[in-house]
Amino acid sequence: MKDLNLYTGKRIARRNDGSFLHGSGQYTDDLDPADMLHAAIVRSPVANGTLIGFDVADVPSTATVLGPDELAEHVVGDLPVVWKLEGQWQERTPLLDTHLRYVGQPIGIVVAASRALAEDAAEKVILDIVDLPIVVDALEALAPDAPLLYPDSNSNVLAAFEAGDTEDHIEEVFAAADRTLLTTIHIGRVHGVPMENRGLVVVPSPSGSLIITTSTQTAHAVRDVVCEVLGKRQNAVRVVAPDVGGGFGLKDHGYEDEIMTVIAAVVIGRPVKWIEDRNESFLTTTHARDEVHEVEVAFDFDGKLRGLRVDAVRNAGARFSIFGGGPLFAAFGVLPGPYKWDAIRGYGRLVATNTMSTGAYRGFGQTQAALVRERAVDLVAEALGRDPIDLRVQNMIRPEELPYGTRTFIEYDSGDYQSAALRAAELIMEPAWPEDGKVRGVGYCCYVQMTGIGNSDTNRAIGLDIGGFETADVRLEPDGTVCVATGVSPHGQGLETTIPQLVADELGVNIDDVQLIWGDTETTPYSAYGTAASRSIALGGGSAVLASQKVAEQIRQVAGTMLEASPDDIRLTDGAATVAGTNVSVLIREVAKRASQGFGMPEGVGPGLHARHAYDPPNATFSYATHACRVAVDVATGEVVVEDYVVVNDCGVMVNPTIIEGQIHGGVAQGLGAALMEEVLYDNNGQPLSSTMLDYQVPVSASIPDIRIEHMETPSPFTPGGMKGMGEGGTNGAYACVVNAVMAALPDADNSTLHTPLTPARVWEAAQKRKQLD
Amino acid sequence: MTNERTVEMNVNGRDYSLRCEPRRLLSEALREDCRLTGTHVGCEQGSCGACTVIVDGRAQRSCLMLAVQADGSNIETIEGVGADSETGHPVQIAMHQAHGLQCGFCTAGIVMSLVHAHRNGISRQDVTKEVLNGHLCRCTGYVNIRQAIDAAWVELEDNK
Repeated sequence: MKDLNLYTGKRIARRNDGSFLHGSGQYTDDLDPADMLHAAIVRSPVANGTLIGFDVADVPSTATVLGPDELAEHVVGDLPVVWKLEGQWQERTPLLDTHLRYVGQPIGIVVAASRALAEDAAEKVILDIVDLPIVVDALEALAPDAPLLYPDSNSNVLAAFEAGDTEDHIEEVFAAADRTLLTTIHIGRVHGVPMENRGLVVVPSPSGSLIITTSTQTAHAVRDVVCEVLGKRQNAVRVVAPDVGGGFGLKDHGYEDEIMTVIAAVVIGRPVKWIEDRNESFLTTTHARDEVHEVEVAFDFDGKLRGLRVDAVRNAGARFSIFGGGPLFAAFGVLPGPYKWDAIRGYGRLVATNTMSTGAYRGFGQTQAALVRERAVDLVAEALGRDPIDLRVQNMIRPEELPYGTRTFIEYDSGDYQSAALRAAELIMEPAWPEDGKVRGVGYCCYVQMTGIGNSDTNRAIGLDIGGFETADVRLEPDGTVCVATGVSPHGQGLETTIPQLVADELGVNIDDVQLIWGDTETTPYSAYGTAASRSIALGGGSAVLASQKVAEQIRQVAGTMLEASPDDIRLTDGAATVAGTNVSVLIREVAKRASQGFGMPEGVGPGLHARHAYDPPNATFSYATHACRVAVDVATGEVVVEDYVVVNDCGVMVNPTIIEGQIHGGVAQGLGAALMEEVLYDNNGQPLSSTMLDYQVPVSASIPDIRIEHMETPSPFTPGGMKGMGEGGTNGAYACVVNAVMAALPDADNSTLHTPLTPARVWEAAQKRKQLD
Repeated sequence: MTNERTVEMNVNGRDYSLRCEPRRLLSEALREDCRLTGTHVGCEQGSCGACTVIVDGRAQRSCLMLAVQADGSNIETIEGVGADSETGHPVQIAMHQAHGLQCGFCTAGIVMSLVHAHRNGISRQDVTKEVLNGHLCRCTGYVNIRQAIDAAWVELEDNK
């Protein structure tokens, strides 16, 4: 138990801002080791074809080309798909394939003295490709006569699975309900667009070991895949994540072009750098979503929600990315949201097409689940003439009903969903609406977010082939300063500040004496995730708390010996170990020095002050929020302006409210972007239409209103410290909230089908097309 | 290289004489030849603003300028901003205090545009409504950057 709370919960300014504000950050592309060469990737220009020739005759001799044959000599394994759903046949994907299935698929690598020269040389490679018929749209790919991405397979379905209740049960519930409604929701394909593109610098040593510095969320997972594909020993490959310019789920694994860069450095025996450009990022860094949901909701005339049935098709792209069909599986898991239902059922299909893979992106399916459910609830409210918040609150799980087991086999932990909803509704109605000829609407989204996922055996049970724990290693150096090595890997989330806040309080030391070590397979404990999936503060933080508690006990033991007092009476505050109720004390740095010398250690302690804790949580943690926003729609142009935005959020114990608010702001911006403007598009030939930041529109400052946030704080009953994860929550809430607001502004519009993003063209069209009256 | 040109420029008060291919971007010359890697490249087409530097008193996207065009110029990059002060430029201080940055990749470009606007007395409203819209940030949702602008402009506007 910590003896004083000096830091946790405080708005402490981030400790690592200085380097970014003064230009001394160290991102991957900032590295410049001696003798380094630069790489460019040779990519498929077609969406479907067979590669029959790779001609390098015109490539200048100043460049080194590694084509499919040269690369294949170094490949012993495939890239794993770590999430295996029932009925899934694709469990791994090859690094190299003569069947080209999407534009941008990496084929070979060219290395030269500069990137410009490498790109010049790559243009001289002549590819001989036999074209094959192309399918881009997932629903078209399901047609019996559709071209097959994998001709040995009899369809383009990579996996099909069921979730929640049985067909019999859902039929029973739907038959007994007073009424049902149907809607179709098209969820557009999006790209996470981190500001820093992917990239890596590979430094080989003559002994065969490698140092790979790469823009990743998860150094250990990159090492896993590099070693698996190339047959390297993990203790000879060091992967380092330096400063990383955003990830959002896209940098959660090693990619094919990155592994090709590793091969090139090994073959040439010199450092090689490859930095993805923005065009490549749009083509070949994992996309997300691209789903069609057929949604049916059953309810009673008194407003009771009965059942929700979803038939979803997700465009998986040309092959599974590392988390396979996981996002759709996760979406079904959290489909119930904060409401009580009699039945929930999801049927999901993952369909291969000639497009880039879809994979993890902030929200990991939970964003789509929120849209599907919250649209359905709004349609029920509209059909019954009920206030949308009133109907939501009627159906919500009450605080005294928690913990609560959902129809999708999830156990929610703690919270007060109603209070959040009512407060958000109150706040959004506060300012008077302007009168300027625009139509306005208020939208809501109430969600429960699964965060801090684990434990490991639960992962295994749902087909996820990686552990769910996080480990922290805490040690005091001889001078009393503290090193905390963690498996989580911050790239904007402020963990360099928040984890030391937790540790400093547990040890009773000054936060300035606590240093976080992260993002290096050589110095940090193994983590399958790094920083992803809203896990870092719950599990990275939780493990740091537990390891610190072990070290605190060691300090008390050694201090007790030094002060001739019982360790139970020792309090750790302000850098000193003090006998409770006295002024007898010793500085913690003196305790650290004594322990480093090993002089007079008590039984079972030291020498040294050092502990490691692998925290495998008993359950996930469940944050929740209600988002509410007001939009103004210009029906003449279809333009939507989000004018006001409110979030009432509960993510358990807050370590640093300022950082939590920053995460909410950024999440809302990404959810709003997906709701109104962001969409990855292909033409019918599988050629990308959104391959620059001018074609793929992300929000600018003018797109995002000020966001009013209020906090609730219901501790997690599980996490040491009481924290719940929250990094993805803003995105999950904003997407549905903004869409609902736009539809609320257009009460007469046809809402039987919906297609996000709600671009001006789609809004204008919806405003023109009046709904059919019953 | 056969067609390299000499480019003389002063960056953050220091003179550089570089040999550059005509096609070399100013952003590349700053990052790779001057080894000033605080300037970041996000899109290489002028849409994201991350590479903004100040060239002869004007805020410029260094990915849209060739190094040879900067011959004879005085350039200021993020490394030079606030370097003469212990606490940094008011914009840097405000960005830190308002939590106006997360991953930090877009930050240098935003700071350069804001510093340029601050020095030139551009009004807070114009900075928020115009200048900031020339930059993409994917982490902050811009809310806290606008807070930072408010804070950094308080003193400026009080002095008017």
